[in-house]
Amino acid sequence: MNFLTARVDLIQRLLGLAALGTLLIGLGLVFTAPVDFQQGDSVRILYAHVSSAKMALLCYVALTICAIGVLWKKSEGADAAMEALAVVGACFTAVTLVTGAIWGKPMWGTWWAWDARLTSMLVLLIIYVGLVALRSSLDNPQKAAKATAVLAIIGAVDLPIIHFSVVWWRTLHQPAMFKGNGMITMAPEMRLPLAVMAIAFILMGAYMTLIKTRAIRAQRRLDALEDEALALEAESDHA
Amino acid sequence: MLRAAYRIAWKDVVGDLRRRATLSSMLFFSLSVLVIFQAGLEPNRSEALKLMPGLLWITLLFTSLVGLGRVFQAEEEDGALEGLLLSPMPRGVIFLGKWLGNLVLTALVALLLLPLMLILLNVDAWGALHLIIGVVLLGILGLTGLGVLLAAMTQAARARETLLALLLIPLVSPLLIAAVQATNGVLGLTTEIAAWIRLMLVFDVVYLAMAPWAFGWFVED
Repeated sequence: MNFLTARVDLIQRLLGLAALGTLLIGLGLVFTAPVDFQQGDSVRILYAHVSSAKMALLCYVALTICAIGVLWKKSEGADAAMEALAVVGACFTAVTLVTGAIWGKPMWGTWWAWDARLTSMLVLLIIYVGLVALRSSLDNPQKAAKATAVLAIIGAVDLPIIHFSVVWWRTLHQPAMFKGNGMITMAPEMRLPLAVMAIAFILMGAYMTLIKTRAIRAQRRLDALEDEALALEAESDHA
Repeated sequence: MLRAAYRIAWKDVVGDLRRRATLSSMLFFSLSVLVIFQAGLEPNRSEALKLMPGLLWITLLFTSLVGLGRVFQAEEEDGALEGLLLSPMPRGVIFLGKWLGNLVLTALVALLLLPLMLILLNVDAWGALHLIIGVVLLGILGLTGLGVLLAAMTQAARARETLLALLLIPLVSPLLIAAVQATNGVLGLTTEIAAWIRLMLVFDVVYLAMAPWAFGWFVED
């Protein structure tokens, strides 16, 4: 149970403080950054939007590494981290979609367009939800861990194909609505706040994953103890 | 070794044809989907032609979900999966057998469905029928490959049919996009065919190469 020790507690607290600090600095920079000449104040949501989009993908990369850990080393810690990352990744994906829609309404005049990026993000969200659903609906914990890990790897192979097919699909008929959303030609004054926000989101994601992983491990231990208690009770009733 | 896969597939297909369980429920399910489409969209002749590729693949996807829900039913009911796993052959071969059985049933349903669809939707595409059949067969290779793998993984789950749909539909979406676009091309609605056929081939090859391994990982103890 090294995962519940005082040292992990300390790491968690430091990580939380670091995330909060960076986030506050980042928000300060975001709100003092110059407004975009065309987009006005609504450009400020992009700092959160881009950062959470990066986190949505980064969580999947981490999740795939955990899945390999589950299949190769049969690691219980990796299994708990995998489930935690699926939840955290789903949150970031949802934030990306929502902030994108809020930005899209004044900019494109519509909440949603079946653009390649939007479509693949939506599919990613469904895959995250599917991972969580699969993990929680199998009774045998070993089988559940294995099934989720296999699905995560299938998803990791499939995500590039999905992205590629959707880009192809949406650019074959009509030109893409926006390319690279202007971030490549971004003004240098906007780069610092974006970098700080990205770091803040990475710290936040790590903090959330750590808390969730510990909560999942505690819950599993509790379930195991409960089963044990029930078995003992049944035994004493029998005697 | 492939003989063993063939035996498993044969057992599944013949067993199903004798009981008329999966095949007939898939066929009638797909027919009722067609009726719903007709009632919901009421297309005229030119609209029907334009809608057909999409309707065809939505119907095939839903219909294959009906079949996939039962792929491992017999194994589960009698605990026969343990028997299969105890037999001295690689896990991948067991997967190939189960996949082949499902593929044959799905292909049969698709072949029966296609002419019915052209008649019921009033679409004049008889000249391109052989090409459509080719695209359909290419599509269901990957669809059933991924589907049987996910069916194996969700077989012991609670609410497994819902879970199967939730997992299969997003993962199979690139194949579905490519298949619809290729069918569009075959019907002369677009000119781009080769690129979409290539994408379908990539999907089929990736999944059929990966699924036996993934199945092996999943069932080993």
